[in-house]
Amino acid sequence: MKLTALDKRILNRLQEDIPFVTRPWAAVARELYIEEGLLIKRISFLNKKGIIRRISAVFSPRKVNFASTLAAVKAVPGNVGRIAKKINSYPEVTHNYRRGGPYDLWFTLVARNRGRIMHIMRQLKKDRDIEEISEFPTVKLFKINVKFPV
Amino acid sequence: MLSKLDKKIIGLIYKDIPLTKKPFRDLADELGIEERLLLERIRFFKKSGLMRKFAASLNHKKIGFRYNAMVVWNIPGRFVDKAGNIMASFDEVSHCYERKPRPGWKYNLYSMVHGRTRGDCFDVVRKISKTLGGNVDHKALFSFKEEKKTGAKF
Repeated sequence: MKLTALDKRILNRLQEDIPFVTRPWAAVARELYIEEGLLIKRISFLNKKGIIRRISAVFSPRKVNFASTLAAVKAVPGNVGRIAKKINSYPEVTHNYRRGGPYDLWFTLVARNRGRIMHIMRQLKKDRDIEEISEFPTVKLFKINVKFPV
Repeated sequence: MLSKLDKKIIGLIYKDIPLTKKPFRDLADELGIEERLLLERIRFFKKSGLMRKFAASLNHKKIGFRYNAMVVWNIPGRFVDKAGNIMASFDEVSHCYERKPRPGWKYNLYSMVHGRTRGDCFDVVRKISKTLGGNVDHKALFSFKEEKKTGAKF
């Protein structure tokens, strides 16, 4: 899909915080020299096209007392699809990617507490088509800033 | 410790914000609180670092960033901080973490590299590698299928 120059400006702006004011769209529209109504219309279009996944608050799991981890799975050949679906079925799983290399799937978990993560890992381990499931806990965070120049 | 109200607010605003003219007022109504209080708590979340951002999450692929590699590096302990900061300084790197290695998996530094092409990703990996002095043991694990991507539920 071809994005218009205006759509690109909107997408670049919206990857930064929206203003915490009564009419945030009006404030952003003013920055972009457009009308509030037009901005809302374009956002809703970009939403529908799946270009904007969502506009929401993103929290640091650790700081709101949630537990999180990165895990990886080696699956019995031919079963990666089924295993991926099973992993995805947990609402605590936020990302899950098939990747090259020794592990077939890499996924992240964000859960209410550490116990819940351990429970999910134990449940998955029982699957016969999972040869190995391992965790790679964070020691130090250097950067998290997901932003794309559109 | 988070108050009951803060938890309720977090449980509401991690989801998509309504596209109405006064979205925070609508959210405040849903919570049964004043809009002023809601905005004050959101500003507090931001200032205290609880909230990283209140912004749009885009579909990488649909805006042309079709490739991503999780690059895992085997960096000697005393160099990890320096290497992590170098990686973090690249715009193309969205995430950079030090993680515990495991038996059979010696990699301890992870950086997520995004690009429009595979070549773009490799260029970034090469640049990082060169900045680190070259000859650094690493693997670029390209993703070939996104099975799931969603926000965390609070």
